[in-house]
Amino acid sequence: MMSKNTQADRNPPADKTAGQTKPRGKGKKYLVGLPITVWLVLIIIVPILIMFATSFYKKVGSNIEPIFNFGNYAKFFTDSIYIPIFFKTLLLALAVSISSIVLGYPLAYLVSRKVKRFRNQLYMLILVPLWVSYLVRIVAWRAILGRGGVLNTLLLDLHLIKEPISLFIYNPFAIFIVLTHISLPFVFISIFTSLEKIPKNLINAAADLGANGPRTLKEIIIPLSMPGVLSGFTMAFVTALGDYIIPQQLGGPNGLMFGNLIVSQFGYAYNWPLGAALGFIMFGIAVLILTLSNKASASEGYLE
Amino acid sequence: MEEENFEIELQNIRKVYGDLIAVDNSSFKIRHGEFFSLLGPSGCGKTTTLRMISGLEEPSEGNIFLAGEDVTYKPTYQRNVSTVFQDYALFPHMNIYENVYFPLKMKKMSRREADPMIHQILDLVNMGNFEKRLPQQLSGGQRQRIALARSLVNKPRALLLDEPLGALDFKLRIQMQKVLKDIQKDVDITFIYVTHDQTEAITMSDRICVMKDGMIHQIGTPDEIYNSPATQFVAGFIGDMDFIEGRADQVSDGEVVVAASGSKFVACRAVGAIRPGDPVCFCVRPEKVHILEDGEEDGRYINRINGKILRVVFRGNDFEYTVKAGDIEIRLIVPASGTFVRVVGDTMKIGFKSEDVIVYSYEGQGCHDEQKHAG
Repeated sequence: MMSKNTQADRNPPADKTAGQTKPRGKGKKYLVGLPITVWLVLIIIVPILIMFATSFYKKVGSNIEPIFNFGNYAKFFTDSIYIPIFFKTLLLALAVSISSIVLGYPLAYLVSRKVKRFRNQLYMLILVPLWVSYLVRIVAWRAILGRGGVLNTLLLDLHLIKEPISLFIYNPFAIFIVLTHISLPFVFISIFTSLEKIPKNLINAAADLGANGPRTLKEIIIPLSMPGVLSGFTMAFVTALGDYIIPQQLGGPNGLMFGNLIVSQFGYAYNWPLGAALGFIMFGIAVLILTLSNKASASEGYLE
Repeated sequence: MEEENFEIELQNIRKVYGDLIAVDNSSFKIRHGEFFSLLGPSGCGKTTTLRMISGLEEPSEGNIFLAGEDVTYKPTYQRNVSTVFQDYALFPHMNIYENVYFPLKMKKMSRREADPMIHQILDLVNMGNFEKRLPQQLSGGQRQRIALARSLVNKPRALLLDEPLGALDFKLRIQMQKVLKDIQKDVDITFIYVTHDQTEAITMSDRICVMKDGMIHQIGTPDEIYNSPATQFVAGFIGDMDFIEGRADQVSDGEVVVAASGSKFVACRAVGAIRPGDPVCFCVRPEKVHILEDGEEDGRYINRINGKILRVVFRGNDFEYTVKAGDIEIRLIVPASGTFVRVVGDTMKIGFKSEDVIVYSYEGQGCHDEQKHAG
């Protein structure tokens, strides 16, 4: 009531538009948000819309013509090369996210609940890889997994193998290892955060009501940290789904992933419309996964 | 007495955190079915004591016995006691039924076996219709009842309650006090109740243990605690109390005469070794101080003061007057009915009996510090 009155006082009755103008404060708030909105629209929304439009164009000869058609999407389903690689990529992303969680959960649990001394140092140590450039990490992994790499040298010195083997590099296994390594800190952070959110009293209460350590973990800690697990899963999955540098650098002949197919359409093949269509198919999968995990963690998020 | 079986016994319990002594040399015994309160200001060690009984904290020294068995170093989940936490600690991802089933599940009891027990206990706390709800969907008082049900369903030897009503508003607190007391009678389980609220402790407990700075000051029935406070701290902490600083003048068997602000007062009760000349603190409950009408000569009111009214507070049922005479300020409480209202500045003659006065030897500091602490 008060604000309405002051509003009326401010606008003289002679002003015919007084009834229609928005309250001044609100208008200012919109202004504050304007630059960032424009920025986001320009660098994210507009390019996506352009690519979306491009995905319905057609490559004629060596030109891209704005002829509306569904041919690019149809090609994904009809050309036998795309579907198998698409599923291989999904499978790899799934394997990467599951292994990141299998490794990241115990790590987060230990740092959050069990370690007392050097807890912060340990936490930082796990996050250190994030400071190292993505490409440097790829090179480092090549030095570990390669024929003359650390792993082979070690196995040779232990006399477990007679000559260097190339089982570790230039195959999907190498991609899997390196993507897992890259996803791990993200998965760790998200699980760690959700573990930290669990009130100590719930753990005490569980013990008080007769639950020993493992049962408390199973009945209380794991269910309550599910939102972290889900968001970690999503992050790892989406990262692994779209990556094309690691497959290109470490994947070898069998390591062609869906991301590489998309990139090549924008490069050698110079078929942007097809590339855009394939990109949108992947984009759709990522959006689907994000939506599902958001829904799931909304219903699991008891500790907000 | 010696042969009696105690439910819980603490022997010389001490708990130290670094330099801080949280609990010092505490010993007490609690009988089966007793409603036992640990009462004291925050930081007095009452919650730490409770946590040591439940096993969430390990004592630095001393032993804890549950039904005669030494459980000092037994993990929490192997002790047959249950705690009701201040914030209830209900599991947010389980509905009410699952929450109450939890302790039975931990005992490997099947759902079918547990079902009647769960229904029975939920009915006991009047929450039978809420089985399918999540804890977040309940009010504070309802969560309290569920926490109680969850702790009781296991039939523990003792129920430990850590300021369970602290988060509730006044009306609900009074109501829950009755609920708790009724439930305790129904289930016949020992209750150990931690609170900083002296009214709560007095109205609910069979016995009270008053603590301060990790030390036990007194253990006794509410009547003993209220009427014969063992230390100056207890006197100030429990109920309302007037403190007057003075000096012991004459000390004889069963009587101490105290000089304060040029007057002499007689007290029948003294605590601590008091010799003539010692600084002392004597105290009397405001409701034991009477107004002496002009011309009234009641010989029972040996101790008399003529003073001016400094403050008048109307409290509904009664008036609280503060009377000042020399250095002495004394509050008295008189029923609102039957007295005409006096105003600030009026002179007033007041008196109190010698048997209502307790004299304490100084405990290191003046009595008014204590008073502030208690408030």
